[in-house]
Amino acid sequence: MSLKPTNILLRGMEKESSATIENYISEDGYKALEKALKEMKPEEIVAEVAKARIRGRGGAGFEAGRKWGFLPKGVDKPVYLACNADESEPGTFKDRHIMEHCPHRLLEGCLLACYAIGSKTGYIYVRGEFPGAQQSLWRAIDEAHEKGYMGEKILGTDFSCEIYVHTGAGAYVCGEETGMLSSIEGGRGHPRLKPPFPAVEGLFRCPTIVNNVETLSNVPFVIHEGADAFLALGTDDTPGPKLFCVSGHVEKPGCYEFEAGANLKELLEHCGGVWKGRKLKGIIPGGASAHILKPDEIDVSMDFGSMARAGSILGSAGMIVLDETTCIVELLRNALEFFAHESCGQCTPCREGTGWAKKIVTRIEAGEGTMEDIDKLWEVADNFEGMGGKTICALADAAAWPTKSYVEKFRDEFEEHVRLGRCPMKG
Amino acid sequence: MPTLTIDGREITVDPGTTVIQAAEELGIYIPRYCWHPGLKIAGNCRICQVEVVNPKLKFPCTIACNLMCGDGMVIETDSDEAKKARADVMEFLLINHPLDCPICDQAGECTLQEFSYEYGHDKSRFTEEKVHKSKRVQFSDQVSFDGERCILCTRCVRFCRDVVGNEELCLVERGDHEEIAVANGGGLTNPYSMNVIDLCPVGALTSSDFRFKSRVWFLEETPSACTSCARNCAVDIGTRWDKVMRLKPRENEHVNKWWMCDEGRLNYHYVNAADRLGYAYVQQGGKLVRTSVDDAVAMAHELIGKLPAEKLYGLISARLTNEEIFLAKRYLDQVAGAAGVGFLPRIGEGDDFLISADRNPNARGAGLIGVSAAKGLAADIKAGKVKGLVIFGDSFDHDEELMGALADLDFLVVMDYRLSETAKQADVILPGVTFAEKEGSITNIDGWVSKLNPALPPPAEARRNLDLLAGLLGRAGQDVPDTAEGVFRLLAETVSAFTDISYGEIFAASRQVATDAVVKAD
Ligand SMILES: Cc1cc2nc3c(=O)[nH]c(=O)nc-3n(C[C@H](O)[C@H](O)[C@H](O)COP(=O)(O)O)c2cc1C
Ligand code: SF4
Ligand code: SF4
Ligand code: SF4
Repeated sequence: MSLKPTNILLRGMEKESSATIENYISEDGYKALEKALKEMKPEEIVAEVAKARIRGRGGAGFEAGRKWGFLPKGVDKPVYLACNADESEPGTFKDRHIMEHCPHRLLEGCLLACYAIGSKTGYIYVRGEFPGAQQSLWRAIDEAHEKGYMGEKILGTDFSCEIYVHTGAGAYVCGEETGMLSSIEGGRGHPRLKPPFPAVEGLFRCPTIVNNVETLSNVPFVIHEGADAFLALGTDDTPGPKLFCVSGHVEKPGCYEFEAGANLKELLEHCGGVWKGRKLKGIIPGGASAHILKPDEIDVSMDFGSMARAGSILGSAGMIVLDETTCIVELLRNALEFFAHESCGQCTPCREGTGWAKKIVTRIEAGEGTMEDIDKLWEVADNFEGMGGKTICALADAAAWPTKSYVEKFRDEFEEHVRLGRCPMKG
Repeated sequence: MPTLTIDGREITVDPGTTVIQAAEELGIYIPRYCWHPGLKIAGNCRICQVEVVNPKLKFPCTIACNLMCGDGMVIETDSDEAKKARADVMEFLLINHPLDCPICDQAGECTLQEFSYEYGHDKSRFTEEKVHKSKRVQFSDQVSFDGERCILCTRCVRFCRDVVGNEELCLVERGDHEEIAVANGGGLTNPYSMNVIDLCPVGALTSSDFRFKSRVWFLEETPSACTSCARNCAVDIGTRWDKVMRLKPRENEHVNKWWMCDEGRLNYHYVNAADRLGYAYVQQGGKLVRTSVDDAVAMAHELIGKLPAEKLYGLISARLTNEEIFLAKRYLDQVAGAAGVGFLPRIGEGDDFLISADRNPNARGAGLIGVSAAKGLAADIKAGKVKGLVIFGDSFDHDEELMGALADLDFLVVMDYRLSETAKQADVILPGVTFAEKEGSITNIDGWVSKLNPALPPPAEARRNLDLLAGLLGRAGQDVPDTAEGVFRLLAETVSAFTDISYGEIFAASRQVATDAVVKAD
């Protein structure tokens, strides 16, 4: 599938006033909310979202409508919405664009979700390093209150709802949905054992729906234009529009909106190709935790299924372009420093293993490694990969995937470091 | 009721049972560090991985502590997959561990050592510099912490948070720099703090009281009960060189679950103290003179017999066992015909967890046997109503009123385990024993009957209290058994609250039994 631009998620972004409620309303903003509150029952919203098959844009691709359907029926506890705006996967900056430039689309999505799941309270957990996004949301929340889209008896109906911004303190693991919930509650950002899943026991031990910013920002379109309009975009595997974050050694980095399933190779060309006329070494397609793709592997459609078949993940669609001068060993050392530092420390394999892997690759980079170290590095990563059995959350997998794939695909470069006793790229 | 298969054996369990529990029911032990039956599930150590047999699973292993038993589930705890998963976890646990077992107090009781031998790889592949963490941190006067030995199972944190209900311990830092610390620069001050030492599966939390005293494998452990309050927490008495080295809580589902308080745990030093009575004494010319125990018993009996019975009062300690109280009361009632018997009440501060405000361990038993709190004893002595006093197993050194009244007595007989200030005033002193040197039963505040077992022989010529009491009764021609079992039978025949309890129930299994009779006896 070739590149098909869409103008849904970041619609109006080019305007100076894009973040204002006036601008949003001028672009049919809050019409979906009005329609939902006045014409639709909550179950109908859930059904429409389920029909649209919005796959979670936070990385795992789980269908939002199905998730909403997991809420237990007949529980007399409050239900919460928690919007994941932690966006800390390296190479990812799409949610930030939405929050800074189109905050009302996210708020409308949150309000629709709250109405659908029977919640009166939503939290948006915004990454600590995003003061701009926080300011933008706070302003937008004030505006929405003023215009009667938020607060008591919204638009004169019986639906009342508040959305709060909760600012994080800058931890990758707080983007893991249950780590985020622990953090909102005021605890350490420790992911929780599953089961129970958040839909059953989440925030303050109440049923909670967690969705990513981009996932929720798709909801107004689905309700306003209908699920069929959404299904007409993207691929059968991953319908709808999609934001792609392009960074690294590329001529025109940025956040681009296309239909889901955009061809990775064409996307690179659209962004002006590898910078400085250099050759491509590889692309990390789904944020730093994704398996690397070599130049002959990038003719692939960027949807969840195709990326999995290509041996990687769509993840957060944060694609990092690497030119021929990149040292893969250094790249891995950098990534493992990040993952080892961000491991929350609960699970033995992740706590001990990420640090161990980091030490091995640091030695290899410094020219002090052995050939056995290369196998050991892969095995250590293999021993901490495997959520469910080995760890509480997928952070360990996020560290294992780059480690294993870089070693598998660029083994010669690791060996070269051992043979020369130094980095071959740095002379 | 799901039925599942674990290692080829079928079991049907209650809904909500986890695989680790079901395996335990089958007698299959799945290793664990973070899981503990008394704590909330944390699932962080990952050592309890088992294989869920299902060809569709990419990663077939999962943790047994958080896996609910499902109907038709097939679990292998010792398949190649499960073995590898455990060995990998062991390797990770050991890479940054100092491996200083030769100087570690936990050696011998350390599950890291144990499981590493049983489930680990034979050699380490780790060649990097280990992470360095805090060492020798005093969390409190009693609890010291070694961050490098800690495997971050969070048992200690969860005990404080979920069992005691405070957040005195917490986690700081992240990744392989994560550590346990006292929260907000405070201390570990809760009255149950030392349970974290027992909970700690490694030697990261050690007791200042016990540290370096003895290698644990040299300790002899005797199941018994704490006698420092009316809860009667089940304990193991650890002894070596004829001394008590430590008390540790022993699991008992009715009385104390897995825990005990610090005060009770540390209240054993008096057993080893220098003021223990090893001999019998009589007062001669204002001095205490050593005599044989048999002579002392005879003299005590003679003294008591000389006094008109209506002038005699008997204090029977509610720290004594049911059997001792029973014999003491029988002697005072039937032989001496004492005008009154009672026990010295001891009230402190209690809480709603274990610590009972009643510091007499057997006040409930005493009450059931017919001994209640003594009232107005000092005044009665002052008024000349009481002229002779027999004290079985007690003292009141700090009670000025009673101590002041002693001079007005014609005689005082004391049976105790130490030479108290009270005993020093006595005409005859009979050398008895502490809880650590005797067998017998005590009845806790809720009616559960527990058993004490002798961990040590009586010092020097001291005798078991039951021997001394049977000796006194023997002087009057009453032939009573001198074994705890024999006396208990007699007690059960006489005191209705105990009739339904069989010796075997409390004594053989060392478990508590509450019969309706005991509970109803209120
Ligand atoms: C280590 C880790 C970090 C994550 N970070 C984020 C994040 O920053 N933003 C996000 O939306 N999801 C993140 N996720 C995924 C969330 O756990 C969760 O799947 C997602 O928020 C669900 O929303 P969705 O279904 O709408 O995608 C992370 C997962 C892991 C394991
Ligand atoms: S996998 Fe890592 S980050 Fe996730 S809970 Fe376990 S230790 Fe924490
Ligand atoms: S100190 Fe002991 S109990 Fe506490 S976390 Fe460490 S190993 Fe576990
Ligand atoms: S609660 Fe009472 S019986 Fe239990 S350990 Fe403390 S003092 Fe001893």
